[in-house]
Amino acid sequence: MNGLTSVRALATLPVVTLGGDAVAHVKDTLFDTSAGRIGSFTLTGRTLLSGPLPRELPWPAVHCLGRDAVMVRDAGALCDLPRSAARRDAVRGRLLGARVLTDDGETVGTVLDVLVEGGTSGRLVAFRLAAQRDLVHGSRHRRHRVYVPRGEAVSLSGRTLVIPAHARAYVSDDLPGFTARVGARHDRGGGVAP
Amino acid sequence: MMLFSRVRGLPVLTPGEDADRVGEVRTLLVDGAPWRVTQVRIGRGRLRRGAVVAWNALRAAGPDMLIVRPAGGPEEMPPQRELLGSRVLTECGEERGTVLDAAFDPVTARIEAVLTTRGELPPDPLLGLGDHALVIRSGAAHHGV
Repeated sequence: MNGLTSVRALATLPVVTLGGDAVAHVKDTLFDTSAGRIGSFTLTGRTLLSGPLPRELPWPAVHCLGRDAVMVRDAGALCDLPRSAARRDAVRGRLLGARVLTDDGETVGTVLDVLVEGGTSGRLVAFRLAAQRDLVHGSRHRRHRVYVPRGEAVSLSGRTLVIPAHARAYVSDDLPGFTARVGARHDRGGGVAP
Repeated sequence: MMLFSRVRGLPVLTPGEDADRVGEVRTLLVDGAPWRVTQVRIGRGRLRRGAVVAWNALRAAGPDMLIVRPAGGPEEMPPQRELLGSRVLTECGEERGTVLDAAFDPVTARIEAVLTTRGELPPDPLLGLGDHALVIRSGAAHHGV
């Protein structure tokens, strides 16, 4: 499956081995922004009160990311998390809530959600933003929840995400419209914005 | 060929003239690679604990009763899982219904087909059965029910 998955929907997904055992649940998704894909998952235990696990699931150990489960080969895929690295990465790699700027310094909004490709790719495809007014087309009374494609370059400094200015040309306020626009762009061989 | 649902509730007897009734079949436990029935869980009434008997300890499995060898008492075996009612998940992490029933050969105890809410599955694409789900290969096509 290579459909788009929302990262918010990944939280609480079970981590299941190919032997059919659930070993953990996904707590949070951390991104490797330089590679433009999921970096790792932080985990919680299997019961309601078990709390966070001191282990993480790195993306290369994931067998497949599906709609209903994150599949791993066996329980050895989880690795122990060095305590010092845990908090630092959690702040750096968690894109949800980050401030979004274009590379000419204009504030676009904050990240509400991130769309990733499922299956074995884990590629970061788009951001769902709480946009500011100047991005909105049409009615002023609409809620400004818009999709912005990842664009060619993403840089992330602290809790700020910088997207290329031309990515704003693909802004769309619904998912089907967004996939159509991005698809059309890919068909033209990844040219610049119309 | 026998169905799991048909075996459930059958009386389990010991051989001989008196033909003692041990109890009745609660469920069958299975193990993978090769997929076969390994144990029978027997209920012995409300006030007594159930017993688990290895499939090999059965002398005969007929359509109306199972006959267990007298010496074939409960024995220690690695934990096996119950197939019926378990969730079906592809190796790509997508749900494909739940297991309704399974057919097996009473002589070799091999599982021949698994019947799910989305259709029938041959045993080849089954990958593993754990506490969360029965994992199958992604390309596995369901035959229509």
